[in-house]
Amino acid sequence: MAEGTGRGEKLSIWFFVGLLPLLYGLILVPYGAWEAMGHEAPTTLHQLHPTLWWGILLLIFGVYYTIRFRPGKG
Amino acid sequence: MPHIFAPLLLFFASRQLTVLSPIDIAVLALYFVVVIFIGFYVKGSTNTSEEFFLAGREMSAWIAGLSFVSANLGSLELMGWAGAAYQYGILAAHWYWIGAIPAMLFLGIVMMPFYYISKTHSVPGYLQLRFGEGARSVSAVSFALMTVLMSGVNMYSMALVMKVVLGWNISFSIWIGAVTVAIYVMLGGLRSAIINEVLQFVLIWAGAALIPILGLIEAGGWSNLKAQIAANLGSNDYTHLWSTLGHFKDNPMGVHWTGIVFGLGFVISFGYWTTDFLVVQRVLSANNLRAAKMAPIIGAAFKMAVPLIVIVPGLLALTVLKNPDGSIMHLVGEDVAAATGQHSYNEVLPLMLIRYCGPGLLGLGITALVAGFMSGMAGNVSAFSTVWTYDLYGAYMKKNAPDSHYVSMGRWSTIVGMLLSVGTAYLVANAASIMDYVQALFSFFIAPLFGTVVLGMLWKRATSAGGFWGLLAGTVSSIAMWIWVQRDAGALQYIALSPDAKPMAENLYRALWSFVICVVITFVVSMLTKPTPVAQLAGLVYGATEIPDDGADALWQRPIFWAIIVIVVFFILNLIFW
Repeated sequence: MAEGTGRGEKLSIWFFVGLLPLLYGLILVPYGAWEAMGHEAPTTLHQLHPTLWWGILLLIFGVYYTIRFRPGKG
Repeated sequence: MPHIFAPLLLFFASRQLTVLSPIDIAVLALYFVVVIFIGFYVKGSTNTSEEFFLAGREMSAWIAGLSFVSANLGSLELMGWAGAAYQYGILAAHWYWIGAIPAMLFLGIVMMPFYYISKTHSVPGYLQLRFGEGARSVSAVSFALMTVLMSGVNMYSMALVMKVVLGWNISFSIWIGAVTVAIYVMLGGLRSAIINEVLQFVLIWAGAALIPILGLIEAGGWSNLKAQIAANLGSNDYTHLWSTLGHFKDNPMGVHWTGIVFGLGFVISFGYWTTDFLVVQRVLSANNLRAAKMAPIIGAAFKMAVPLIVIVPGLLALTVLKNPDGSIMHLVGEDVAAATGQHSYNEVLPLMLIRYCGPGLLGLGITALVAGFMSGMAGNVSAFSTVWTYDLYGAYMKKNAPDSHYVSMGRWSTIVGMLLSVGTAYLVANAASIMDYVQALFSFFIAPLFGTVVLGMLWKRATSAGGFWGLLAGTVSSIAMWIWVQRDAGALQYIALSPDAKPMAENLYRALWSFVICVVITFVVSMLTKPTPVAQLAGLVYGATEIPDDGADALWQRPIFWAIIVIVVFFILNLIFW
């Protein structure tokens, strides 16, 4: 049984918890990388490249949860 | 006609804080696609009333716990308390710590066994089992009304934030939120609402945690932040939790420690976290007794971390927010902001978001806020549909109908509740003061309801008549005190017991008195009426119920073990920020 989504379903609630950050990571990482090449928006502390680093963090979190709770596992 | 609205549009146009780039819109759109998909995905698992209204009672402690804490983590609260932290300093953290943690632990350890083993579907349902129809009808009618109104307030607040931050049309935001929430709650019931709340919890952190991280880097760390606040405001009071509460005059909030400990920490907090069906419903979805006891404890552990993304940004704003000329920006109340065009306290979180987050991250932050608002609507509407179907329709209009009839009624009442919420949202849009009244209304019922429920659970001698009259007297006295202060501001000194008390103290002491009145009336009437036979109280009251074993063997499996760890961390945090 997939946890949280009902008896007989394949996708666990934790799969969705991973999926959304994974998709956001896939959007933010390339955009953040492009920004880091001199296209940063003029926000405070933009020189720390927050979009890129935060995107990487979301990507790692998302990959871990989607793989760990992928459909059919367990 | 357009020229009539031109000044208004100009006003909002000048107030618009930022615009979304295509990447932000993609982030936001992705969220809507995923939540609608979840609604359709879980529809197949919501065929019975138990599945639709209580998510099949199959949620693990982690899911129920995250949903439990997330149901209270709406955007209205986040933005409001970030603004309160700017206005009153770290004292606002009391609403997250002493105003939540002890009550959540009490729910898990003491009260949850009774809610859970009574197999009630709702808090009014428990009152019916314990005190009979009178107490249930008072509680169910007031709760149904409040949830619809609160859902409307959430809806309007989201529309207003989207208007102020992004310049979006109010009606567009109201309808897009209403239709999305109606679809996923109607299809998946509580299960949809819970899944989205867990997602929202992750999103809130993903969207908001960067603000305190970057803010503390900019401020040079916590110690430097405290020093800068003290230098800017000429006072150390903004960064102390307890040391300024010796007298009403010594702190920015104008409250006394007795109000915080007894009014907030005991009555308001225990009332909200243990009897508000909106949050209790999440725990009732747990798959066994131990999960039901653990869920509020897990929720409490996460709740302790929330001030990082709410209170810290408010404190940071006191030093890092600057005007274009480099001077410190001073935020003001809503009334002054409307008159002068300055930014208001409630805009702290969006202002900080815009300060640090460029395209992509801004979309993530806005998505987190939208998710918080929609989750607030979904929570209220799913609780409304449960109480309406079980405690009003099923109890008084159509008893003993087939289960599928009640599921169908649950789906229809979700749509009707949503439409009523839309009506409330437009009502609030035309008379903003209604929002204050709705929030005040909510406070009328919570404190006395806690008195009734806790006496019902812990005192065998409490009778049906005692429960009903205590609840009614407590609620009426709360309304009377509120009207008294509305008509005569000087009355506050009698309710808060000090001429130096400020409006914030009124809520705390009004709750305390209405609770005391409820308890006294329940006690007196119970002693004057015939006791309920103990045999009828089995499964409902402490002392008349054998609590079943929750199946914990090892120490680390026991809810009490984790509750002790959470309470120790709670004390340490309070000492650190004393």
